[in-house]
Amino acid sequence: MKKLYEHSATELAAMLRAKDVSAVEITKATLGRIEEVESKVDAFLTVTAEQALQQAQQVDESIAAGKPLAPLAGIPVAIKDNICTKGVRTTCASRMLENFVPPYNATVMEKLAAQGAVLPGKLNMDEFAMGGSCENSYFKPTKNPWDTARVPGGSSGGSAASVASCEVPLALGSDTGGSIRCPASFCGIVGLKPTYGAVSRYGLVAFASSLDQIGPFGRTVDDVALLYRAICGHDPKDATSREAALGEVEAKVKGLRLGVPKEYFGDGISAEVKTAVYGAIETLKGLGADVVEISLPSTDYALAAYYIISSAEASSNLARYDGVKYGFSGRRDGTLNDLYLSTRSEGFGAEVKRRIMLGTHVLSSGYYDAYYKRAKLLQNVIAKEFADAFENCDLIVTPVNPTTAFKLGEKVSDPVQMYATDVCTVTVNIAGLPGLSLPCGTGEGGLPIGMQLIGPKFSEARLLSVAKSYETAVGGFAVKEM
Amino acid sequence: MNNNFETVIGLEVHAELNTKTKIFCGCENRFGAEVNTLCCPVCMGYPGTLPVLNQQVVESAVKMGHALNCTINGVTKQDRKNYFYPDLPKAYQISQFDVPLCEHGYLDVLVGEDVKRIGVTRIHIEEDAGKLIHDDSFDGTLCDYNRCGVPLIEIVSEPDLRSAEEAKAYLETITTILLYLGISDAKMQEGSVRCDVNVSVRPRGASEFGTRCEMKNVNSFGAVYRAILYEAERQMEVIAAGGTIHQETRRWDDPKNKSILMRSKEDAQDYRYFPDPDLLTFIVSDEKISALKASLPELPTEKTLRYVNDYSMQKVDAQLLSVNKARADFFDSAVELGGCEPKTVANWLVGDITRILNDRRIELTDTALTPQHLVEMIKLIDKGTISNTAAKTVLEEMMASGKAPQQIVEEKGLAQINDSSALVAIVDKVLADNPKAVEDYKNGKTNVAGFLVGQCMKASRGQGNPAALRDMVLAAIEKL
Amino acid sequence: MEIDVKHIAKLAKLDIPETELGKMEKELSSIVAMVEKLPELTSKESLLDPQNTMQLRPDEVKPSFPREEMLKNVPETAAGCLMVPKVVE
Repeated sequence: MKKLYEHSATELAAMLRAKDVSAVEITKATLGRIEEVESKVDAFLTVTAEQALQQAQQVDESIAAGKPLAPLAGIPVAIKDNICTKGVRTTCASRMLENFVPPYNATVMEKLAAQGAVLPGKLNMDEFAMGGSCENSYFKPTKNPWDTARVPGGSSGGSAASVASCEVPLALGSDTGGSIRCPASFCGIVGLKPTYGAVSRYGLVAFASSLDQIGPFGRTVDDVALLYRAICGHDPKDATSREAALGEVEAKVKGLRLGVPKEYFGDGISAEVKTAVYGAIETLKGLGADVVEISLPSTDYALAAYYIISSAEASSNLARYDGVKYGFSGRRDGTLNDLYLSTRSEGFGAEVKRRIMLGTHVLSSGYYDAYYKRAKLLQNVIAKEFADAFENCDLIVTPVNPTTAFKLGEKVSDPVQMYATDVCTVTVNIAGLPGLSLPCGTGEGGLPIGMQLIGPKFSEARLLSVAKSYETAVGGFAVKEM
Repeated sequence: MNNNFETVIGLEVHAELNTKTKIFCGCENRFGAEVNTLCCPVCMGYPGTLPVLNQQVVESAVKMGHALNCTINGVTKQDRKNYFYPDLPKAYQISQFDVPLCEHGYLDVLVGEDVKRIGVTRIHIEEDAGKLIHDDSFDGTLCDYNRCGVPLIEIVSEPDLRSAEEAKAYLETITTILLYLGISDAKMQEGSVRCDVNVSVRPRGASEFGTRCEMKNVNSFGAVYRAILYEAERQMEVIAAGGTIHQETRRWDDPKNKSILMRSKEDAQDYRYFPDPDLLTFIVSDEKISALKASLPELPTEKTLRYVNDYSMQKVDAQLLSVNKARADFFDSAVELGGCEPKTVANWLVGDITRILNDRRIELTDTALTPQHLVEMIKLIDKGTISNTAAKTVLEEMMASGKAPQQIVEEKGLAQINDSSALVAIVDKVLADNPKAVEDYKNGKTNVAGFLVGQCMKASRGQGNPAALRDMVLAAIEKL
Repeated sequence: MEIDVKHIAKLAKLDIPETELGKMEKELSSIVAMVEKLPELTSKESLLDPQNTMQLRPDEVKPSFPREEMLKNVPETAAGCLMVPKVVE
């Protein structure tokens, strides 16, 4: 008999409508589960139990009054701590914002609130979303539910771990270079990075403005679709946002052409990952898909271009943290410059400082053309390569991470090594395309392996339908018992 | 001033646009509010907030571009200028770097009797920073963010100005154009127009420019004039003493009449400009650009020259009229009605009417005076129905109540008394009351007649016809 | 290729201790080395993208936030303003 917290969001929504369970009961089960496993997982930075129960109570009152329910009514959705939640601490897992309470809500939060979704709490991440393992949090590292000696991936590590451990059915994360897809893959769940512009960034604490997107995590494809549908759409407060919507997702893969780019299956990818992904491709073939070999030659340069663009934008976005308006404030007994230096030196962690330094360097006088402009020009080349590839295929299949989840502490010492884990995911952010990560097998020790589906802009429906076909064919995705 | 040297000046004018809202958020764009009451998470640079560009800012800027004969870049973007300062919440200013909205323009400026063409390099849009308040009763410096995000246009001139006089005239014309277009309050004293002054000197006849110094904190037209004179002198003295001019930013201290070093080139900031990724390329359509051009009124310089040519006005008077758009519009309407001399209308406008407005610190539009009524009043004077003196009373009443002059004359009984028989009694009484004056006149002090006529005017409550009175007074004295 | 770490730190307002300068230089260099592999792409054009434009917003007033709310997160305030160490202009 399934525990309440083990159900998917889609199932819970049906149970609510069938009056088999109340919203308060769902929230209580969620809060209970969090209490049960948090010491092992460490996914949450803030748990908002009282607020959550109040929200659930309101939903139950609506049900009792016979009011129509929005799709996410009464469903707990945990939120990555770089998404501003009005009146609730939003730290970005940084000392710099340790006690910051935003006076306003991110647009995605307004949308969730309008649907009556429940906020159980804020989730751990790599500081300011910079990292691939969730070890760069100022507060604590989050653990992978599949093996708590290992990382859950990052930067949305808390989001992935909380969903994978059944603490919550749904979570929101953000993705700049793989920060949704990587942890989804390490934790054996489904994660979607939407097309750039499909989800409003208003209220998402900026890392790299031209690459960041908020996206959903769930244990099933339908759940991810449910959450994406609720958050996507044009927002007049975000000048980079576009019209986007999602209808019903039907499982479909027959007749679709799957592009397999050779550059993504090179020596850097472990044998077991390749095996799993090729295996999944075979399954999709069996379901009626055609496989096409394609080439994306600029993949080699994408990582470098990504680091230039993202650190340049980050160095500018993070300049506002100066101890004057909010957040951590350093020395006040000296000059203004002393305040700036002490605030930023003590408020930021090592990885954040490294990226700010790199970004400042690539934008500085004499280097702009050689680095930043060059990287932006390359961005156009990469985008065009994908567009050309999509002339010959309907979606592209690649691995997500080169390996399964590594051990805590294993990679922190070498930044370049850490950066190399992003090689399969960054191109998708650079090109602004949607990328979906879903489980496709396990490696040694039963550690999850994910595959990535990439589509043309605004093809989320297509990616989700292929994923749904696959999910059905393999009998659903395994959930970690904890 | 050393005649072997030539002064070269370039001006960077920042003008606050009078849009209803700030450039990137919906906060009200208003001067003089209580500190930090016109702020929101966007203009305060809170984490996660994003800018959205105000359409009206672009339109106002394009209008200015047309007024300064610029090419409009219909496809453009905004860039970040990165530096740290407490009045800059995001630690970058959103501005425009390499693709300004308008460029390659010029402005014809009246300098004394000449018209000089000054090149305009570019006009771009950007956001204003907050205000720092220095008050010794506090331990630190206070920051007011009301002004953060107020839209600015920056107008950069070519280094075509050659004297403090030219610079002042250029700045005044720019300010008048802003008022004509209705896109800015253009008040230097409130900071809605600010000017940075770049000055260099070079030997007369040299083709290369000298090294320039930039002066900030130049807060009035007069200050611009004085700052240029001082800085040119300072630079020439340095050169004369065998030194070289270093590229510097200096602060102008008007009370002390000198410029002080702020920062040198070595301390110069590296702003690390790059396109703002929160704002995409935007397009101003050709239709919109044309429509905005068609909406421009006749501009100050053109208007001044037209007044000089069409109405044989002195340049000084023409400028006095054209420098204030409301006054110029009023004048144009009045002249169009016809029936009196344009010069007369002009005289009343720049004379009595402006004096009254200045005394009361109000604008023409704050009064009830209409061009129609002014013309009618002038016609009454021309006909001799009222004297000039009485007209002043009529004018005051027209401005206050908006009544027609004819009506006012009747109500107040101001009609000029032209009829000699009516005036005889007045003349006789005045001469009787002032025997000494009569005596003086008879003894040869002929200018006493003016006094006697004045007394008659007084006695007639301004309604006497002065010319007629004068004749009568002289005739009466003869008889005595 | 030498990176002037001190200069970058000054621009970024980060205080990198003397003992860390060498390490930071090495880390930045290794990342930059990765970057040097980029193909030689140059362009005289500005980074404009007319195919990907944004909408502007109408000039309509929205209520500002109450001052107390905006100043709630400010570390030091005085007289309704944010306060910083004395700035010499």
